[in-house]
Amino acid sequence: MENAIEVKELCIAYRSLKRYSIKQNFFQRKPKKEDVFEAIKQVSFSVEKGRILGIIGRNGSGKSTLLRAIAGIFAPDSGTIDLKGNRVSLLSIGVGFEKELTGRENILLSGLLLGFSEEQIQEKIEEIIEFAELGEFIEAPVRTYSSGMYSKLAFSITAVLETDIMLIDEILSVGDAKFKKKSYNRMRELISDQNRTVLLVSHSKETVESLCQELLWLHDGQIRMRGETKQVMQAYEEFMK
Amino acid sequence: MKERLRQDLKKYGKYSIVSAKAQLKAEVASSYLNWLWWILDPICFMLIYTFIFGTVFQASEPYFPIFIFIGLSAWDFFHRTLTQSIKLVKKNKEIVSKVYLPKYILILTRIWVNGFKMFLSFGVVFFMMLFFGVPVTWRVLDWIPFVFLLFLFTFGCATFLLHYGVFVEDLSNVISIGLRLLFYLTGIFYQVSSRIPAPYGEWMTKYNPMAFIITGMRRSLLYGETLEGGWLMFWLIGSLLLVVVGIRLIYKNENSYIKVI
Repeated sequence: MENAIEVKELCIAYRSLKRYSIKQNFFQRKPKKEDVFEAIKQVSFSVEKGRILGIIGRNGSGKSTLLRAIAGIFAPDSGTIDLKGNRVSLLSIGVGFEKELTGRENILLSGLLLGFSEEQIQEKIEEIIEFAELGEFIEAPVRTYSSGMYSKLAFSITAVLETDIMLIDEILSVGDAKFKKKSYNRMRELISDQNRTVLLVSHSKETVESLCQELLWLHDGQIRMRGETKQVMQAYEEFMK
Repeated sequence: MKERLRQDLKKYGKYSIVSAKAQLKAEVASSYLNWLWWILDPICFMLIYTFIFGTVFQASEPYFPIFIFIGLSAWDFFHRTLTQSIKLVKKNKEIVSKVYLPKYILILTRIWVNGFKMFLSFGVVFFMMLFFGVPVTWRVLDWIPFVFLLFLFTFGCATFLLHYGVFVEDLSNVISIGLRLLFYLTGIFYQVSSRIPAPYGEWMTKYNPMAFIITGMRRSLLYGETLEGGWLMFWLIGSLLLVVVGIRLIYKNENSYIKVI
């Protein structure tokens, strides 16, 4: 089986990138001591195409940083990330929404921002609108929406415009009880697609165990364990006690 | 880089236009008369300057109100885009932290927004030219390359400000002083070449790109004088270089911005 993601010796640190001011340069001769925080240290792994890899670890262990790096939002300080030309997206809802625009216009705006072409969006736009169940509100400005409607629309965009590799930071289910169920099922459907490679960060044991085929346990920016879901989960729970 | 730039523009160019439309629409939405301010604002400043410099200081440039209006329209575009680009990444944190987007696309959006307002403003200029009976010659077409140069030069400067604006906290203070100085040096309300003794006046219109652009626009629209092709080429090439270096700078560093903000 070919790999969809190959990460080699990835290091990401937050350092020396503090903001400074010109005023400070005048009044302080000595530069402040640099704070170095290494979020990811020498992480290497690969994921086969179509697999679902769960990432677990406690808060601050570098899970979200890793996802953002793979999505291309962060630059690695060293090491490489090879996605073999697959399209990738970090699942996030409501990116770039403009409150004064109508729902329909926001679908276009958000879709373009996610890197889709106008034709691709137009092709799917009816499906998105139908999924969002907004009825006539789709032609009204988003500022008139209730928060439930807002998240329904936002979710539908990400759920219908899909990519080869999906990076998910906690599964989202939004809206009222009925839509929650629908959106959760849709997420499962997306994740389980044979051709889609998924990295899933979650703190919910239930979610991880029911969806992921493999687990990667990050601890302080390093891989502590990788393997079958059951074994890793067991070790992790033992550790967290 | 060329290939990457081409692909990115193809992929995200449309976003910058849709986003610019959205922002213009948002500005108008709160009150339908808001767009009137896009025109009223320069008109009011034009009236103020015309009064102060035309009446109090007895300026004698022909078609003085239009003379000022041209300067203000171009300057406002330049000034707005530059000032906004300093905080652009921070202001779009929401987007920048969630998806990858070539950061100069954010500048492009601002350029469309401010450019649209500038074109409205120049619409008023043409109307005033009719009203004041300015003799129109074919030379008005020279205005077009100057607009192009203005866009290119502004974009080039903005890429640098966007980059350093992420790292330098008080950049906006420094830039606002610098821009104020440049405003007075550019001759929005006086003719640099005739007011400042030779040869410095001539130099200042050639070596200061903003003065060069605004003078060029006035010469073509108001006085039907030929354009200085050599200098136009010089500044076009100079601005293009600025853009190339700026985009390169952004490409190299943009994925670290989010670690700072």
